[in-house]
Amino acid sequence: MPSSDSDDFESADEGHSSPTKRERKKRLSSSNYSDNLESEDELKKVQPKVSSKLEVSEDKESVVNNEGWDDFDIDEDTIQTSSNNETEVKNISSKTETITVSETKDSGWDDFDDWGDDSEVKDQEVKPQTIRDNIAANQDVAQTTSQKDEPKASWGWGWGVDSLLNSATAGISTLTTQVSQGITTVLETGIGAPDPEVLARMSSKNDTGNVTEDRKTETIADTFQLGSLLSGVTKFVETTGTKVISGGLDTLETIGKKTMEVLQDGDPGLAKKKALLGLEEKPVLSQILREAKERADKEDSVKEAKREAKEIHYETLFDDCEGLVHLEALEMLSKQVSMRIEEKLRNSEPSKRQDIKETLQQVSELCEMPEEGEENDITEGISRPDGLHEKLLKATRDIGIKLQFQPLIKQYSDVLNELAPDASPRGSYKLGVKSLAHSTALSVEIYHKMAEMLLVKGRRSTADEADAVTQMTVVLTKHIGDLATHFTEKLSKIPCEGKEDVNSYITNIFLEAGNSSKYIENAFQLTVPIIQIGAV
Amino acid sequence: MAYAYLFKYIIIGDTGVGKSCLLLQFTDKRFQPVHDLTIGVEFGARMITIDGKQIKLQIWDTAGQEAFRSITRSYYRGAAGALLVYDITRRDTFNHLTTWLEDARQHSNSNMVIMLIGNKSDLESRREVKKEEGEAFAREHGLVFMETSAKTAANVEEAFINTAKEIYEKIQEGVFDINNEANGIKIGPQHGGAGSGGGAPGAGGAPPGGCC
Repeated sequence: MPSSDSDDFESADEGHSSPTKRERKKRLSSSNYSDNLESEDELKKVQPKVSSKLEVSEDKESVVNNEGWDDFDIDEDTIQTSSNNETEVKNISSKTETITVSETKDSGWDDFDDWGDDSEVKDQEVKPQTIRDNIAANQDVAQTTSQKDEPKASWGWGWGVDSLLNSATAGISTLTTQVSQGITTVLETGIGAPDPEVLARMSSKNDTGNVTEDRKTETIADTFQLGSLLSGVTKFVETTGTKVISGGLDTLETIGKKTMEVLQDGDPGLAKKKALLGLEEKPVLSQILREAKERADKEDSVKEAKREAKEIHYETLFDDCEGLVHLEALEMLSKQVSMRIEEKLRNSEPSKRQDIKETLQQVSELCEMPEEGEENDITEGISRPDGLHEKLLKATRDIGIKLQFQPLIKQYSDVLNELAPDASPRGSYKLGVKSLAHSTALSVEIYHKMAEMLLVKGRRSTADEADAVTQMTVVLTKHIGDLATHFTEKLSKIPCEGKEDVNSYITNIFLEAGNSSKYIENAFQLTVPIIQIGAV
Repeated sequence: MAYAYLFKYIIIGDTGVGKSCLLLQFTDKRFQPVHDLTIGVEFGARMITIDGKQIKLQIWDTAGQEAFRSITRSYYRGAAGALLVYDITRRDTFNHLTTWLEDARQHSNSNMVIMLIGNKSDLESRREVKKEEGEAFAREHGLVFMETSAKTAANVEEAFINTAKEIYEKIQEGVFDINNEANGIKIGPQHGGAGSGGGAPGAGGAPPGGCC
């Protein structure tokens, strides 16, 4: 079996006469290229239609000639060249006598010699190559050829380009203008501007017939194959468009292949098309899609991570200060204890069961947060951190365990000293959120430690414990409020330009303070069963 | 910090064998000769890289005191790895290993990777438990074994990281269902948000692309 190049070559040459060759072609049925082939007979009758794209791109034909279109030219030449246009070929080639035969051995055509014994075939194959080379070398001839043949020839590429461009444009509507412009340009220069001799080849075939029906079929087929892919391929065009383009756009077939490659490279937008494509293709594609999705997710997450890093993220800060893990541990303890309480209830006699339930209920009531009452300030004349410490110690005086408040107090005084008077609004805001998250994490840690110590405590005093933890919650919640007020006051005092920014900062500080209070309330509630179990 | 996975570890073993010191050496790369008794559980975390992936080790350093036993048992659940530590200079800490192991096996998930650690290997002159004994115990109970020194940092990194590697391999093999957080593995924020459909990279990643 010859290599793919020569295979194309072979079947293209004998496509009409040899059924086996045709069959071989059908293997490539997913490509646009073979779509062309299958309707090749009808193609001869195609009524040409001028595409404006082709005219536009004509100016760029030198570029086209230099952009690795060699394979494309050859394939198309040979496909389109059937016996009825051989004369045409010869006519054109006669214009290009400057070409030497040795050139035909360039660009991977070596197989060709080995392949054909038939001198006539060989002759025929040489010519397109000759023409191509000549055109590349001789601009004038190229111009002549293309001008002469263009109007007729454009159909073959006109619809292709149109449908491609339509679907591509639709697909990439979300892209930046820059990118879509880039793609349009490339598509125009690339697909829109086939080599003149290609046009010549094609035009010679299109002598007769009404091709409307044929075109329709092909457009549908093509749009379905490539168009649907491309329209699904939204974002990936953005990231990999350049890759596709530099790949050469050898033929539409190549585009098909490239598309598949690119799909494997990753396509965030593809997920939407997964279902559609999944119906057309079987297991291989699903694998590709899964990989593409994974990669896309990864990319998204990197972007997301970067974006979040810029933001001041409360949850992340809270987690970094071990707030979450303390809460998780407290939750585990709480669940464990609740299960033990339930077990106790189940195993006790019915008469006792009611007593236990009542006791549990009483503890719950003791642990209800008091209404916002007036507070006799015991903190006059001392610093605010010391005041907080005093209040916490007073609240937990009778709990019977030694709690560590120092980290929270130290953090508070650090925060108060940290905020410079001339801090920027954003700086103050950042510090505010950080402080709230940190204070909350330390508070949750206090609940967690308290729960652990209560559980190992020898003699339980439920009422005192309940009162202590409730009072402590009041103090801690108040502390969060104080922190938030501290920062919002600082923020509003900053004489500044961007007042909206400051206002949104202030709003966010209060939001995060609310968040903090919820965490503290949550920790408090998780502690309740731990106090309850001491009573039953 | 962004991570691909989070592994939960627990460190267990008798009081005074050096659990908290091992953690401190691993997370802060320092040694503190005098350490407060751990109350309940303390936490440490460090980021490591395995197979090019960022993995956050979240380590639960439990109290070794008998009094806290019932509490620390509640923390076993949801650990992907455990470091079971004894002191090579105190035979009783080695003798208690069976109890610790039973406890761990009973209260954690069955796939938990357990690393047996004979700590204080720097105190060779006071050694009471031979290395071979530790190896034999590990072999008998299907554990990975290592002697470490939290003081000199010998093998400390290895102990934590080899455990993580073993967990990671189990994920790749599909032993761990990473979507079940009871296994002590969490998927990093970047994966989590992408939806559960993206699911098990262990299953998807293991046979590298049989496509085309």
